[in-house]
Amino acid sequence: MMEHQPKIIRKTSPYLRRPQASVTRMMRDVVIALLPVTIFAIYSFGMSAVTILLSAVISMVVTEYLYYQITDLISGEKFKLKNKSFSLYNYSAAVSGLIYGLTLPDSTPIWVVVMCGALGIFLAKLIFGGVGQNVFNPAAVARVIVVVNFSVKYLLHTVDIPLLESVDGLAGATALTFTNFAYESDLGNMITNVFNPAVLDNFSLLNLFTGIGIPGSLGEVSALLLIIGGIYLALRTSFEVRIPLTYVGTVFVLASVVAIQQGLGIWYPVYHILGGGLLFGAIFMATDPITSPITKPGRIYFGFGLGVITFIIRLFGAMPEGVVFSILIMNMFVPTFDYFKWSKSGFTKKSNLIFAGVILASIIVVLVGASYVG
Amino acid sequence: MIKKSRKVRDYKELTKALPTLRYVDPEAVYIHLQNGRCKTYDLYVKEGDKVTLGEVIGMRHGGFFEQPIHATISGTVATVAKKLHRTGRKVDCVEIRNDFKNTKHESIVDRPDSLIEDLTQDEMVEIVKNRSLVGLGGSGFPTFIKIATKEKIDTVVINAVECEPYLNSDYRLILEHPDRVITGLKYIMQALNCKKGVIAIKSKNGPLYQVLTQVINHRYPELDIEVMKLGNYYPQGWEVEVFKNALGIVIPHGELPMKYGVIGFNVSTAAGVFDAIKHNLPVIKRYFTLTGDAVKFPQNYRVRVGTSVQQLIALSDGYKDGFDEVLVIMGGPMMGTSTVSDDVIVSKTTTSVIILQNTEYKEEPCVRCGSCVYSCPTNLEPVQIMNAVKRNDKEAMKGLEAFKCIECGLCTYVCTSKIHVTEYVRKAKRLIG
Repeated sequence: MMEHQPKIIRKTSPYLRRPQASVTRMMRDVVIALLPVTIFAIYSFGMSAVTILLSAVISMVVTEYLYYQITDLISGEKFKLKNKSFSLYNYSAAVSGLIYGLTLPDSTPIWVVVMCGALGIFLAKLIFGGVGQNVFNPAAVARVIVVVNFSVKYLLHTVDIPLLESVDGLAGATALTFTNFAYESDLGNMITNVFNPAVLDNFSLLNLFTGIGIPGSLGEVSALLLIIGGIYLALRTSFEVRIPLTYVGTVFVLASVVAIQQGLGIWYPVYHILGGGLLFGAIFMATDPITSPITKPGRIYFGFGLGVITFIIRLFGAMPEGVVFSILIMNMFVPTFDYFKWSKSGFTKKSNLIFAGVILASIIVVLVGASYVG
Repeated sequence: MIKKSRKVRDYKELTKALPTLRYVDPEAVYIHLQNGRCKTYDLYVKEGDKVTLGEVIGMRHGGFFEQPIHATISGTVATVAKKLHRTGRKVDCVEIRNDFKNTKHESIVDRPDSLIEDLTQDEMVEIVKNRSLVGLGGSGFPTFIKIATKEKIDTVVINAVECEPYLNSDYRLILEHPDRVITGLKYIMQALNCKKGVIAIKSKNGPLYQVLTQVINHRYPELDIEVMKLGNYYPQGWEVEVFKNALGIVIPHGELPMKYGVIGFNVSTAAGVFDAIKHNLPVIKRYFTLTGDAVKFPQNYRVRVGTSVQQLIALSDGYKDGFDEVLVIMGGPMMGTSTVSDDVIVSKTTTSVIILQNTEYKEEPCVRCGSCVYSCPTNLEPVQIMNAVKRNDKEAMKGLEAFKCIECGLCTYVCTSKIHVTEYVRKAKRLIG
């Protein structure tokens, strides 16, 4: 008979799991994809980049750790140095912190970074119940808190123009004079109201592509390195490639339509894509799976919505940061995309018709709007 | 990893190349008197009676699924005892002690080919019904009901895809007895008056293709039987998926394939049809894979129906040392049932027993990566069904069509967070049942 008789356990099928699939792997891949951008940011901006990134990451990680320790204490558990709910083990807080840090301009004071980082992860993630439960992207929320509360006072302080005017009064031909400072926060936003190739006087498209000599937020400047990171993530299948593709594609198409209407060259749509935080937001913020729809069509509609809102904010809005606002606005619509009555995992004839109608409508809106702005 | 992923590591190399070990004369066999569908039974024999191979010893009652019970061995009837069934319940089993004489019952006589050629559909249905042949791939659905269909059938499909990991019993059956499979298919085609036959295999199983085409070309050049290489992914062996990829026929949920002019049989069932019609034999032996990472010597067996799995495990040198906890799975590792004991019996529909080392997977929160949605073969959204179950929203479970789930287990397999999604979907199916 058998000499070794192990204990027999009862479970339910299936009994196998995909090897090498884990949340940790996904999050670690995002960190790896961000490495070239981070190194370039440190190379271009020096110590200020290091301190901003470190304080962004630490503020988010420490806030999460403290939050879980406090909630455990309140629920009457014994204090342990290692917390079970703390999500550093799968990098998710660190990833949020790093992304947040990279969206900040190098002139941001450290206390602003720390305060908004802590607030962002608390308001957007922790009070919703931690990893997997959040509606909004924590990095985007933290970034928006910075923009809304501190942009005028801190982020634009190097520009020697009346600040109120710069935020409110940027319309029409007068913005031409502000060409230089517009790169200060979100490149494309402030000058795209003007259909004038003069925006390229200071920075060529090639410079925008490589990021050499471009001021701006830490991680947003080099399109090339962002695309390298995106390709890495796509090869590792650690993000949904449909979202950035439709997002960037939508902005490109809408910008091309406007360019044709206004008689501008190809530089205009390319400039829209390379300038500002579009690529960074598309590759690293919009693709956060927790805050994007669950189905393939849903993700494509999501990317399209992001593109339209970003472009409309850039073209008509008074606010910079079209990318981050569009991500937060579309985050709100994710439960709508996923509502069980119409969420389907494939395309149908009806959904295609509706989608085509929406595309047409948004092109018309942009065209009509552009003819007024121009 | 956010991607459509239907590649499941198949571990078939453990037993694929091993020749089948014959273990057809155990000391005793245990015959199930009940099964998942038939709860009551009549036993025509009592303790001490002599029975012969193929003798009818009882009748399982279950309305539609009523079927005679055959002795799979000649010998003496012993007691009726409770043994574990594939469904996880304990059922009555009658023990027959082997007299090693292999005396056949007088009804077990070969039919001459000339007689078989004249058999009509109804006659064939009667033979298959009396031989209590059921779907041997694991479904246990009575074959005679399928053969008795009055719909016009254009194509008979033999499903030899065997997409579940670890299993090799169908593979070995075709490799060692291709003629039985093909002749069985010929009889089914004759019964259904159908001209075209298809044998669906995985494209990576080259040897099967060679064997089958050779036998068809040499022995049945007049028959229109095509061997089709289908995909290597999981669950290619699902009937609907086979029809879709082999013939391009899409069968909607809840509809019978017969309505669309196709009908599918498992390989073992085709061989069973051959045995029933040619030799008038019930299912007395079957191919059986005993494998897994916690058994010392994984092996393919040819066993009597009713053999104790414990004996087979002992034949395979027992459990590997060093594993304190194992899973004993009847059927494949994706859809099979795990039992609480290894005291199980090889029934007609048991294709395999897999003994796996017990691995505890640490569940992480769902990050909504969507892998389950991308991979689902029925185009469901498992994660959304899971969330609906968590908040007990029956309307959403219905709206998300949880009833369409075939429980293939792919959503759990691909899950990035190692969540047991399939179990939630099963719960949803029960709730809206």
